[in-house]
Amino acid sequence: MPDPVLIKALRCAACGRLDPGPRDLCEACHSPDLEPTELPGDGALVSWTTIRRAPTRFKGQAPYVIAVVDLESGLRLTGRIAGDPDRLRLALPLRATGEHDGAYLFTERTT
Amino acid sequence: MRKVLVAGIGSTPFGRHGDIAIQSLAIRAADAAIREAGIDRREIGALYLGNFVSGPLTGQEVLAGLVADGLGLAQIPCTKVEGACASGGIAFRHAYLAIASGLCDVALAVGVEKMTHADTATTTAALNCAMDNRSDGVSGLTFPGLFGLAWQVHAERYGTRREQVSAVVTKNKANGLLNPLAQMGATLDNDQIVQSALICDPLRLYDCCPTSDGASALLLVAADRRPDLAAMPVEVLAAAQTRGSARIAGHPDLCTFEATVAAAQAAYAQAGITAQDVDVVELHDCFSIAEIIDGEDLGLMPRGHGAAYAAEGRTRVGGDVPINPSGGLLSKGHPVGATGISQIYETVLQLRGQHPNQVRDAAIGLTHNLGGTGVACSVNILKRLDA
Repeated sequence: MPDPVLIKALRCAACGRLDPGPRDLCEACHSPDLEPTELPGDGALVSWTTIRRAPTRFKGQAPYVIAVVDLESGLRLTGRIAGDPDRLRLALPLRATGEHDGAYLFTERTT
Repeated sequence: MRKVLVAGIGSTPFGRHGDIAIQSLAIRAADAAIREAGIDRREIGALYLGNFVSGPLTGQEVLAGLVADGLGLAQIPCTKVEGACASGGIAFRHAYLAIASGLCDVALAVGVEKMTHADTATTTAALNCAMDNRSDGVSGLTFPGLFGLAWQVHAERYGTRREQVSAVVTKNKANGLLNPLAQMGATLDNDQIVQSALICDPLRLYDCCPTSDGASALLLVAADRRPDLAAMPVEVLAAAQTRGSARIAGHPDLCTFEATVAAAQAAYAQAGITAQDVDVVELHDCFSIAEIIDGEDLGLMPRGHGAAYAAEGRTRVGGDVPINPSGGLLSKGHPVGATGISQIYETVLQLRGQHPNQVRDAAIGLTHNLGGTGVACSVNILKRLDA
């Protein structure tokens, strides 16, 4: 499978809370001291859908598969799925394998 | 807080109004509401106007002032409010608060949107302004997509089946046939629904509300203003507004909107009733699966039973939990900023006993208006005065 990529996120310097960002104040303690961090991109599929009618900015890319993914670090992300949507099922293990315009691309994790 | 009545209602039909300017739609609906109440328009002390995307889609802003000017109102405060698809419900609550707090005795709530002249990609992009475009937006998610995600989880967790969700579409399209203001009433069965185009799996075309033009308006008065009112007034028992997360990452469960749950709890508490006391509901069925999730969030049925209630006919007129006798967003249409006001318009007709798809002896009605990814919610409860 393709090489994994790390997920850019924010970690609160005051309380350690993680956030997918962007965010100005920590959701837990409201500190403005949020530091960039990188997290492993392994997670599980929460849900997915294939977008067949896309907004202007993504029009040339449709159809594409959107997924909600829970990372092992506890973060929830909205990203995209690479590969065959017919293979998808809830809780399928996934790995981030790419990034495009700020959105992460996830692939079924086989190892 | 003073008691507030809805004393006059007005609405354009929902659908295509190609040649009519957006402010003209709002003025027609509002003028009808003022005339129905039989109140001198110089008595109106505040105007709140719900609208979402008049800027990007029509190039026209300052709608609140424009509409007041067209109506010939005094030099009163005129305010446009925006909360995506909940804009109308929020406008209503602010007009209610202006009277309940004693700031004025008469207030106007108007909702309007004009969308059908734009192509689908432009409209989808404008509607996507209701998303957190620094997080979910970059993935290419759309609002139908959000409800496609919710449907997959609902189906997995509760065993919700395609034909159960279709029952919502069949009911609301049939209800729309009875509503002269509805954009697209129809007789549709499950076979026809599952043959319509896929939009965002598993959502198909008939699972989605149309884009619409239209306006609705309500004239609100303090209850002590009642004696010389022309139309049968309805009492506002509760007007609740809440917020929820603006991004998917902030929703721990894709099958519930915490803004709806909180607004319903606040509204039931303010009204001193429970969900079981409600006789008729107009809720935010922007998509078929949304009606099922919203009903559960409002406590109208046990969690996970929304699809079964629809399939068993319990949410039809004549059922024990009538939902969207107007046809709802799916059939009446969804001119975004007008929807929350339109839901109250329909409910007032029900409580007067004058609705074209009347729920028998309806005494208490509830409206539910949800914006964005559940970022804003309005729940209102209305009561027939003699009930």
